[in-house]
Parts: sequence; structure tokens; C-alpha cells
Amino acid sequence: MECLQKTKKKVLMKGNYAIANAAVMAGCECYFGYPITPQSEIGEFMSGKMQELKRAYVSAESELAAINMVIGACSTGAKAMTSSSSCAVSLMQEAISYASADELPIVLVSVMRGGPGLGNIYPSQGDYNQAVIGGGNGDYQTIVLAPSTVQECVDLTYKAFYLAHKYKNPTILLADGLLGQMMEPVEFTEYPYPEIDNSSWALSGAKGRNGRIIRSYAPLAENQCVFLNKLYGKYKQIEENETEWEEIDTEDADIVLISFGSPSRNVKSAMKICRKEGLKVGFLRPITLWPFPSKRIAELSKKVKMFLDIEVNMGQMLKDVKLAVNGAVPVEFFNRPVGNPPEVDDIVNKIREIMK
Amino acid sequence: MEKNFVIAGFGGQGVLLAGEVLANAFMLDNKNVTWYPCYGAEMRGGTVNCEIVMNDTEEVSAVNLKEADFVVALNQASVERFVSKVKKGGWMIANSSLAKEIKTRDDINYVFAPMTKMAEEIGNIKMTNILALGIAAKVSKLTSIETLTNALDNVIPPHRKNLLPLNLKALKIGYEYDLLHA
Repeated sequence: MECLQKTKKKVLMKGNYAIANAAVMAGCECYFGYPITPQSEIGEFMSGKMQELKRAYVSAESELAAINMVIGACSTGAKAMTSSSSCAVSLMQEAISYASADELPIVLVSVMRGGPGLGNIYPSQGDYNQAVIGGGNGDYQTIVLAPSTVQECVDLTYKAFYLAHKYKNPTILLADGLLGQMMEPVEFTEYPYPEIDNSSWALSGAKGRNGRIIRSYAPLAENQCVFLNKLYGKYKQIEENETEWEEIDTEDADIVLISFGSPSRNVKSAMKICRKEGLKVGFLRPITLWPFPSKRIAELSKKVKMFLDIEVNMGQMLKDVKLAVNGAVPVEFFNRPVGNPPEVDDIVNKIREIMK
Repeated sequence: MEKNFVIAGFGGQGVLLAGEVLANAFMLDNKNVTWYPCYGAEMRGGTVNCEIVMNDTEEVSAVNLKEADFVVALNQASVERFVSKVKKGGWMIANSSLAKEIKTRDDINYVFAPMTKMAEEIGNIKMTNILALGIAAKVSKLTSIETLTNALDNVIPPHRKNLLPLNLKALKIGYEYDLLHA
């Protein structure tokens, strides 16, 4: 796959290649990774392109090594990333906790496949919890962005680098196997965000200044209290400034459908069919899974009769929706455990059934 | 208007590539298009299919559709698997070199063409997929041979450009296939 710089016309591209190309365009200086289906094209693309551009590419010996290399690179202020999938992202959880404590701008692309365990290579949304809650120790929070089209894979890759560096916080782009393998026409603009100055903290050599240490070890309890309060102050700021979602036809809606990622496309189609039948159906798609649009869902719960949450897992985002609704109205659930999104007709039938 | 295609066959027959060329053609026609594959872990010999959803009004299309407007089946297994997916009044376009000419439904249209044999006649059995694409394009009336020619040029990588003339020949033979006798 040829690397494209800024394109004036649209090109047909796989989600994985689009993410990789967007990362290059966003100025990613280092890529470290270990292959796993369904995201191997990202590493494949990077292996050629990064060397061509005289940037760093390392085919790491394991996922554990890859993410720790990202930590190393990020501590110098570099834009660095890795990409992986489900069972291999599990191996990276410790490092994500460390990077959160170190306040490092690591970017992780997670392309979900079936689980738990080794699972299979079919698309899935089973790693919502893994990304949003995480499996590392301690009080930490990653920023999580969820694209639903190949164009959004590009736009949100740009954004992931920006947010990671703006807030010095691990940021996850959470795609799924369907998006990774899907081809759609995409456009690449210039990286639309300002470059963040990292000269106040990056390990850039101590010539002419005191040395710096980036570490997560805090032996004194009081120091850790101060640090955690500061960290959670930052999280609050992110929640206030960066929560993003797409919302359609909720003004007069009796029911609001909630869905993220690639299945939301089918949910949107189902919503349009229901509207034609005269059913008052609205649609809300969280784009940032953390920060989650809880406030907006809470507002809506005061005027709608119910919510229907649709996912390709056993109901992981469902818990966040229910927390936001807080018992105000019923929250129904429709799913497919793993694989491609539920078919549009099946979603429409479910909506008709619960609106009776 | 939304129309969708399923292209199916053995791994190695070029099913995904044919789909990619078609998706590229729709893009060149300024339509919204989505291509997605479905395959097992095998490189060759397993079953493989891809779906192309074209939409000229709405920005984002649904995926994993229940029905298809056009199914291109390059072997018997694909005919059997996908014949029930064809929309009423839709088209089953089958490779009669590797599939039986049996019409199991009377509410859909059939095209049977000996695609593998025709590809062998132009000198390369690997052209079966593009030849099939030519027939599908003609049947669907959704894109032109000129656009497909440009799409092929887009998709075929630089180190395989020597095969472009043969691909174009296959496309033309497919496009000009006599549908009345199929």
C-alpha cells in the first residue's frame, strides 16, 4: 500500500491502512508493534513507510515490549504509537497504567476481535470495558475514541494524537475488525490540530538545566494523594472539554437508540426506517467512549420514554448508559454477541416490539 | 438509492480484488460506497466473499445486509449459499464452468456464463474474476466500462501493471457477453 500525503481527491482504503496513513500524517515519529489479525495491515504499512521517512519502526518481540517501547519514546516527547487487538491488548494493561501515572501521551490503536481468551478473528465490541475501564492497577483513566466509518478512522487518529499530547494522557482509538478490514473512500487533510509544546517535561537531555525523572513510583502516601487529586483534576477537565457525540432527531423522540462504532451505521438505518413509519425514534452515538456523554443522556432521560442500547457484545456500554439514565426510564438492550452488526430489519423489529 | 453486490467464490479466484475494482468504480462515479470482506483463515481453497454497498444519496450505508440486489457466484458452493440472499427481482450471476445451470427460484433473474472457460480462452484463467465483473457491471447498469477501466488502473499495483491489458480484455469480453443467451 502506497503512502499518501495530503489528498485532494478521495481514495478507496481499508480502515487499517487509513489509520496508519493518518498516523503518519499526524506526525507519528515512532511505531512499535507486534502483528495480530485483524489489525496487521497497520504494522505492515508502517514497516515500509516509517523507514522511508527516516522515522522509527520496530517490529517488537512481543506486545509487552512494543507498548513499553512506546513509553520510552513518549518520555522524550516524541509522537509514538502501537496498535494491537483484543487478547494482545490484554498484555499491555500494566504499561497503560504506568503510562497514566507517568502522564505520557501514548497512542494505542485497538482493533477489536472476538473474545474472551484467544477468541476468534471476527469483529466484536467486546473490549469496551478493556478500553474504557482498563485492566491496569490503580486510579487511572484513558481517553477512548470510537470511529464508525473509515473517514472517521482518519479524523479520530488525528484527534487521538492531539488529545494524548494536549492532556499528556494515554489515548486509545477503539475500532473493530469490520472497520479495520472495510474499504471506503477517504480524504486526508493536513493534520488539523496545533502542535503541543512539550519542552517543560520531555526528557530531552539535561544540558543547561536540571535533570528530570519520569516515574510512577510514589513512596510517600501524602505525595500520592496530591498526585491523584491533580490527575483527577485533569480528567475532570477532559470530561468538560472533550466529550463528543453524534445526535439525530432526539427533540421529539419517544425512544433514543444508543450505539457506538460500526454497528451504529445499521442502527442509524433502522432509525430512518422507523421514522418513515411514523415512530418517534432518535439516535445518539458516543464518539468519545471516555469521556462518555453521560450528561447529555441524563438530560434526554427527562424527556424520552425509553432508551435502546445496541452493541456487538453482551452489554458493556449498557452499564454506562444505565448509570447516566439512573433509573429515570427503562433501558432496553439488543445485541449480537460477536460478528458483524445486527441486521437492520432485526433492529427495526426490536424497536417495533418494545414501542408497542 | 442503495444497491448491493455480493461476490463469492473460492479463495484464490480473485473475489476480493473484483469487489475492490467495483467499489473503486463507484467511488470514481462520486457515489458513496463500502466494501467489506468475509473469509476464513485459509489463503487458498476456502470460501470467501465480499459485499459492496453503493449508495448515491446517503453518506453512510448499513452493513451486513439481509438481501442482495446482485450476487456474483464463481463456484457451485457460492450459488448454493447465496441464492436465497438474492432480492426478489434481483440477479444471480453464476460461473457455469464451476456451477450447475439449475434455476431453483423463479422470482429472480439468472445469468449463467462459462467464465472460467472464457478466461482460459483469452489466455489466463486468473482473469475469471474481472470477466465476471464485466458481466455484473453490464447487468446492473450501475457503472460504465470506462469507469471500470480507470478503477482497474487504480487497483492493480505497479509491479502487476503488465497484466493490465489482459484484465481490460477480460473486462470487455465480460461486458459484451450476450446476456440474451445466458
